[in-house]
Amino acid sequence: MTEPLLTIDGLRVDIASRERTVHALDGVCLTLAPGEALGIVGESGCGKTMTALSVLGLLPPGGEITGGRVLFDGRDLAAAPAPVLQDVRGDAIGMVFQDPLTSLNPTMTIGAQVAEPLLLHRPDIGRKEAWARAEEMLRLVGMAHPAERMKAYPHQLSGGMRQRVAIAMALVCEPKLLIADEPTTALDVTTQHQILELVDDLRSRLGMAMILVTHDLGVIAHRVDRVAVMYAGKVAEESDVRDLFARPRHRYTEALLAALPERAAASGTELHTIPGLPPNLAARPTGCRFAPRCTFATEECRAEEPPLADDEVRGAEHRFACFHPVPDEAASQDEVVVPPAVPPAAAPGGVLLELDALVKEFPLKGGPFSRGRGTVSAVGGVSLTIREGETYGMVGESGCGKTTLGRIVAGLEAPTAGAVRFGGADPSRMPRAERRAHRRRVQLMFQDSTAAMDPRMRVGEILREPLVIQGVGGRAEQEALVAELLDAVGLPRGAVHRYPHEFSGGQRQRLGLARALTLSPDLVVADEPVSALDVSVQAQILNLMRQLQRERGLTYLFISHDLAVVRHLADTVGVMYLGKLVESGPAAQVYAHPLHPYTRGLLDTVNLPDPQAASGTQPAPLEGETPSAARPPSGCRFRTRCPLAQEVCATAEPPVTTPNGPAHQVACHFPLAAPRLASAV
Amino acid sequence: MSGSSSPSGFRNPVGLKSPVGFRDRAGFRGLTGFPGFLVKRLLQAVVVLFLVSVIVFVLLHLLPGGPARAILGPKGTPQQIEHFNHQQGYDRSLPTQYAMYLKRLLTGDLGESFKLNSPVLDLLKQRLPKTLLLTVLSTALAVVVAVPLGLLQAVRRGKASDYALTGLAFLMYATPVFFLGLIMIMLFAQVMPIFPAEAPQGETVGELLGDVTGLVLPVVTMAFGIIAMFSRYMRSAVLDNLTEEYVRTAMAKGQSSRRIMVRHVLRNALIPLATLLGLYLPTLFSGALIVESMFNYPGMGLLFWNAAQGSDFPVLLGVTLVVGVATVVGSLLTDVLYAVLDPRIRSVA
Repeated sequence: MTEPLLTIDGLRVDIASRERTVHALDGVCLTLAPGEALGIVGESGCGKTMTALSVLGLLPPGGEITGGRVLFDGRDLAAAPAPVLQDVRGDAIGMVFQDPLTSLNPTMTIGAQVAEPLLLHRPDIGRKEAWARAEEMLRLVGMAHPAERMKAYPHQLSGGMRQRVAIAMALVCEPKLLIADEPTTALDVTTQHQILELVDDLRSRLGMAMILVTHDLGVIAHRVDRVAVMYAGKVAEESDVRDLFARPRHRYTEALLAALPERAAASGTELHTIPGLPPNLAARPTGCRFAPRCTFATEECRAEEPPLADDEVRGAEHRFACFHPVPDEAASQDEVVVPPAVPPAAAPGGVLLELDALVKEFPLKGGPFSRGRGTVSAVGGVSLTIREGETYGMVGESGCGKTTLGRIVAGLEAPTAGAVRFGGADPSRMPRAERRAHRRRVQLMFQDSTAAMDPRMRVGEILREPLVIQGVGGRAEQEALVAELLDAVGLPRGAVHRYPHEFSGGQRQRLGLARALTLSPDLVVADEPVSALDVSVQAQILNLMRQLQRERGLTYLFISHDLAVVRHLADTVGVMYLGKLVESGPAAQVYAHPLHPYTRGLLDTVNLPDPQAASGTQPAPLEGETPSAARPPSGCRFRTRCPLAQEVCATAEPPVTTPNGPAHQVACHFPLAAPRLASAV
Repeated sequence: MSGSSSPSGFRNPVGLKSPVGFRDRAGFRGLTGFPGFLVKRLLQAVVVLFLVSVIVFVLLHLLPGGPARAILGPKGTPQQIEHFNHQQGYDRSLPTQYAMYLKRLLTGDLGESFKLNSPVLDLLKQRLPKTLLLTVLSTALAVVVAVPLGLLQAVRRGKASDYALTGLAFLMYATPVFFLGLIMIMLFAQVMPIFPAEAPQGETVGELLGDVTGLVLPVVTMAFGIIAMFSRYMRSAVLDNLTEEYVRTAMAKGQSSRRIMVRHVLRNALIPLATLLGLYLPTLFSGALIVESMFNYPGMGLLFWNAAQGSDFPVLLGVTLVVGVATVVGSLLTDVLYAVLDPRIRSVA
């Protein structure tokens, strides 16, 4: 075996704050060969980012390496003084961070920022040459007009372009190792794909090793050679990527994979969840850290810490720390109790909500001395119907207008044109009092429940407030209702006395759902309700939403960028692009036989959490970026990125057709051919 | 996308989550650029100055007794007062008086001082540069001291030196200028007679600068309060920026902490200070009033002080107008500084 490029040996990191000291890393051991790609995966707080940061000594304030070594090229970086670290940073090791918006200096030009590492680490390179090399690097990361962009500032670029700049910055000195910390988490699906492709390509060209830190098992499955699964500050399992997904041994890895909506046997089953929460790392837990949440835990697990042991078959190539691993011979599915199939929701009833050619335009603001600026077309004529008791999943990338659509449905925005008919009546035409009463029939659930709740109100007040506003019942009655709701969303009744910040992310999403349900609405508009959650918690919330829908006969308008989540939950799916509904129909049909090239592209972009699957590695299914909604393309708005576009697409708006059965609509001049068997289904 | 379009031409709002942010971002498209923005601000300034003149005029004329009583004293006979009012046009209606005042103002005639027997414009021409000198010198001194001081405090946050400097800054901030001036005079003009207690009495700025030692005490006295304030702002601005992710990126490139401060943090941290500087300008002018009267500095503040005591209305009106101009210029200066420091504002404007 070749000499490893990087060896992390027994690394311990403490993060001290005023109140407590968290043992963020507790004996992490990892190795990385030259040119190898290692993925570090885990849920929030597991220590994956801390591991990446401590390699370069970039721990946050209060963070300190308290033990272990980080050997890189024969030097121990954990014990190295600042000048040595500064030498390595940006030269031999490059780093890319999650948020390209905040990780670039807003007041420096792109050129100055990309050239900076060269000027620092290559004293023989003059300013002029550094500039030229930076420009070359920008070309390499796929920036159009690099010479122009050198003089631009970060705010003038889109998110994807900014991340390209960040990558150029990290690679300009041609490092031996690239550390990427959630490099695509803040980006859209199609952009995410482009960036991952780029990193793959550059890695093979420059022959560098990579550590890819992510929570996304789909990304990990296709982009790395080996994977380390972390849990509570320790490596739980480490293996070749194919072996890990095919034969997970640690019970945590197994549970994590099972919680993925992509892995649910069918959309009719409940998702696997991992009960409870990761342990508090302020106190060092005894025994296996996963034991309290593990269904296979025994006394031994609780008393003793399992060592990182070799797999029987693969030896040191596959290691895991578990006393009761998934048996090697059995395929994991046999072992796991198949989750109960959910009784199908009552067959969709009559039409609850109807949108008729809905348009929303936002004026572009200009000062008194400027000419008219036109408008941003957020929603450009959307018609759809949602039936009682169904889940309508709305999919699209950021800026496609899905959130605006949700806000109009909830009555928070007035449409510019078109009509919203709720149970046959248009709320915007109702008299004031009636409209007020109508509001209780549609409620919202947000992505970030922390931001959506008054931090100075107790949970009891927060949940009671809608009842007070609508004048429902007396105080005792309201309190009884709140208690019942807390039971329904699985929170203790004592929660009423606490403040929102005292809850975990998943619990707050439960509160968000409870608040949406206080007024027993007919329709809940859920805008990215699980996007901020870890996989295991996401599964809990999705199961809960499904269960409550069944019990209460709810209808959901479920807005999300996550195709897998929507596929799992939705009966009907709509796909939006730049304010237009390009395709809609029964979820199974749309996913299996998409008719619109954009839907096809989106589906091809998705990284399935399965290294065997072909999808996710196809060369850039969707090129380019979404154009500005202030100047949407004429005709079909998707034509600028469409591989099938022809002249007619620029001149005429595509009509809505149903080549694949009446329920499956598509707005495209050249819909993809539907396979024959589809119509038989 | 064409290269000829404005820098905002390749802005792409993709990646911004909220529809509001989307709208705001997109709203910047196709603006007239920075010169257009300046023209807009200048027109606004003219409107503001007009309103200032109206308010000042009305307020002064609503004073009991009026200027005649003030000038002629309690012994002035009603005939004398009537004659004076007629001579000055004070017996006409207020709008007419204002129209006359404005007409004269536009021709550069600010009236004559009742007490000093010379045109107000001449007085201002003579005094304003001196006050500007005092203000500019003390502000420059304050910025030169406060910026490094704030940086130092931010870097040493929570250490003894940070606490000591914070304490000192609050002490300075809480000390009234007249008290501080007295202490300065006592310490450096009497106990240790290094500097004169009185400012130089030259006719021109050049003459003032010829006697630099005399400028030291007024300038330093005025600078102290500004240093206290600016260093606090600088400290918190640097601390805010140090937690930004671009600082971590710079570290990941291998920059040393010192160079990160100078190359990356400084410029970003100066942005809030620029606001403060512009908004603080009128306050500085009024600060000059006290300092000037303490050190008998022949500036505009002293002129105002004497005019206020003698009800010299045309002078008061003139000085107030100048302070109004200073306010407007100050906020204009803020915008320009902003645009210089922050490219985001530049392309927005």
